Amino acid sequence: MECSFGITGKDYVLLASDMSAGRSILQFKSDENKIKELGPHLAMAYGGEPGDTNNFADYIERNMRLYHIRHHHALLPHAASSWIRRSLADSIRSRRPYSVNLLLAGFDTTDDTPHLYWIDYLGTKAVVPYAAHGMGMHVSLSTMDKYWHPNQDRRDGVDVLKKAIAEAQHRLSIKFTFNAIIIDKDGIHTVDLAAEDPIGKIEAEKAAKAEAEAAAAAAAAAPPAAAPEASAPVAAAA
Amino acid sequence: MARRYDSRTTIFSPEGRLFQVEYAMEAISHAGTVLAVLSKEGIAIAAEKKVTGKLLDLSLTTVGGEGSEAWMAGGGEKIFLLNNNILTGLAGITSDANSLVNFARNSAQRHLYSYDEDIPVEMLVQRLCDMKQGYTQYGGLRPFGVSLIYVGWDPLHGFQLYQSDPSGNYSGWKATCIGANHSSAASLLKQDYKDDITLEEAKSLCLKTMSKTMDSTKLSSEKLEFATMTLHADTKQPLAKIYRPAELDELLQQLELGGTKEETVGVGEGTGGGGSGGNIAVST
Amino acid sequence: MDTLVAQLAPSRRGDEGSSSTAEWANNGYGNLDASGAVAGMDVPGVPDPLAFLSMHTDSMSTNPQAKIKLAHGTTTLAFRFKGGIIVAVDSRATAGSYIASGTVKKVIEINPYLLGTMAGGAADCQYWETYLGMQCRLHELRNKERISVAAASKILSNLVYQYKGMGLSMGTMICGWDKTGPALFYVDSDGQRLKGDLFSVGSGSTFAYGVLDQGYKWDLSDEEAQELGRRSIVAAGHRDAYSGNTVNLFHVRENGWEFIKNYDLSELWYEYEEKKKADLAAASAAAAGGVPIDVE
Repeated sequence: MECSFGITGKDYVLLASDMSAGRSILQFKSDENKIKELGPHLAMAYGGEPGDTNNFADYIERNMRLYHIRHHHALLPHAASSWIRRSLADSIRSRRPYSVNLLLAGFDTTDDTPHLYWIDYLGTKAVVPYAAHGMGMHVSLSTMDKYWHPNQDRRDGVDVLKKAIAEAQHRLSIKFTFNAIIIDKDGIHTVDLAAEDPIGKIEAEKAAKAEAEAAAAAAAAAPPAAAPEASAPVAAAA
Repeated sequence: MARRYDSRTTIFSPEGRLFQVEYAMEAISHAGTVLAVLSKEGIAIAAEKKVTGKLLDLSLTTVGGEGSEAWMAGGGEKIFLLNNNILTGLAGITSDANSLVNFARNSAQRHLYSYDEDIPVEMLVQRLCDMKQGYTQYGGLRPFGVSLIYVGWDPLHGFQLYQSDPSGNYSGWKATCIGANHSSAASLLKQDYKDDITLEEAKSLCLKTMSKTMDSTKLSSEKLEFATMTLHADTKQPLAKIYRPAELDELLQQLELGGTKEETVGVGEGTGGGGSGGNIAVST
Repeated sequence: MDTLVAQLAPSRRGDEGSSSTAEWANNGYGNLDASGAVAGMDVPGVPDPLAFLSMHTDSMSTNPQAKIKLAHGTTTLAFRFKGGIIVAVDSRATAGSYIASGTVKKVIEINPYLLGTMAGGAADCQYWETYLGMQCRLHELRNKERISVAAASKILSNLVYQYKGMGLSMGTMICGWDKTGPALFYVDSDGQRLKGDLFSVGSGSTFAYGVLDQGYKWDLSDEEAQELGRRSIVAAGHRDAYSGNTVNLFHVRENGWEFIKNYDLSELWYEYEEKKKADLAAASAAAAGGVPIDVE
């Protein structure tokens, strides 16, 4: 029983997934992260046949990393989506196909646009503004149809996501816990859905980080006066 | 004994040189010059055709076009479209060059198949250079006798200009030149190039430098191929243009580099680089 | 003469010639290939081994007409707490409705720091966990340090994933103590691998969870934790027809695992029943306000 959502906005894309893991009727875990970061501005929420899911996600993750290392830049979301779709399309025509469905979310830093792709185990790919996989497709798509609108800001996006999650929790006979991320020009950030103002929290974290970096940069630039004295004996010793 | 270290590509000489690779580069320095200049708005590339004789029948060759028509420029000897976003200019053995062009086009299409995007320029350059390098290391093989200039655009790094040689080395440039007189052309480019050059200025610099390095005083479409890589005004997508003979002659007139047909060196009377070397390996 | 030798050479079989040695060198050690799979492990020599095996084997009672029935039915559990990891299992092996054995060791001692539990096919678990022990020892020899529990469980999950769909049936917990402290992973033959604090696997796992979940907290004392593990297996052995006989209890601490004891499950059950009665009597007597009276 799985459920994942993706929502794009003006300059961001949101991704959320349930956190359950188990076998047949038993739930073993309720805190399994089923969202994988594939690059500085790329992530996917995945589900499907147990075993296949993690193996396929690792395979994609390692290939994305390899591309990044080889070519000094990460694949752009569109190219990544094509490659992942192709992997599944080749897989379904192989002796033992992967049964994995996924939502791929990314932010294209060359033209500052958010991207969301709905991909299934058959190798179907759709470019979508918002999407769901698993049980969420049945109950929450109409919720998103109604409340989503183009170019909405982050808080509106989180509101739509919360509505979609609430609907899934309300109508489905399974209890879900969700985790979520947001991808924007600065990269991937976790969204604390339980927080009063998740976006405000992320913005505060960003500001704190920028401040720390500025302080570190200032500290690195400041003491050149002291540095030569300190390094002189070392140089002499060398 | 003198031939002890130069008969095989894969054996170093005592001085640490690979003679076969150096000979290949030497062959190229007699080939028709190719020259390109980069600007913020686009890239200009010009190439000198070495016409082999007046009996050569060029009547069935198509020679130029823009965008998708640039693909039809199969009759050009020197400048080819490798992909929507990448042009190349070649100097060296024509048959080797054809093989490389074919390989490059295949690589670009394979990338398109996997990633649904135009291949990034440097990646294609690397693909070709990986292959060229292989031919300097595996026994029994001869290096490709070809240097290339690549002119392209991709979303990550914009307009780019690269050059590669038979060893598989490649490098990025603001303006560069391969083939005959490449070192004198390079010093001319170094003198006249400015960082904030416009595309029109780049075209002009490209052709003016070409006219100085070529032996004939007046240029014409019979001795020259010319192309540009720009962005389409509306779609902002890369637009390759291989000039048709008439278009090139008009451009040469504007730049006061071209003459009337009578003034240019006649077909077949050119300064064929190989001289009496014959046509065993046709060099362009 | 040379021609004759050349003609004969290819037909000399069973000779460990240079070609097979070279193959070994590329692959890894002995008959183990680089990916960890056993090179000699055969799959049925038919065009589609997956389809063949799923037609003829029955690992989860989902394919009753299949002739090859794999043994299953078990209760195993393991949980992490402040004092390490408790591992408790029953000891019954069943084949259909028949109790094949009541003294099965379902905890596999991989090495002094690692335990694996056994649910599903007994042979699969024993074979692959023994093999895992080998890989862990090789890891120690190569790297001069003990393997982490995460890495050990990953070897196993990668391994069984290669045979996915071919009828392997195992649900196991890999328990141990490494640089990160006590660590517990669930690995099954689907290829699923989960890190967690508390797992129970087997037909009786639902009953074990019923007791375990209610009594579990991180701050249990060693005695409380051992009792919780024991009590949970007894609960499952009482309710699940495919579990029972005895309880084997292990405790993993910083310096390795310790076998606590083997208990007779039904004796424990009646002890618990007696205690429940006594407690009830004591409680009602206390409620009556008097000194407890011996009713007999």
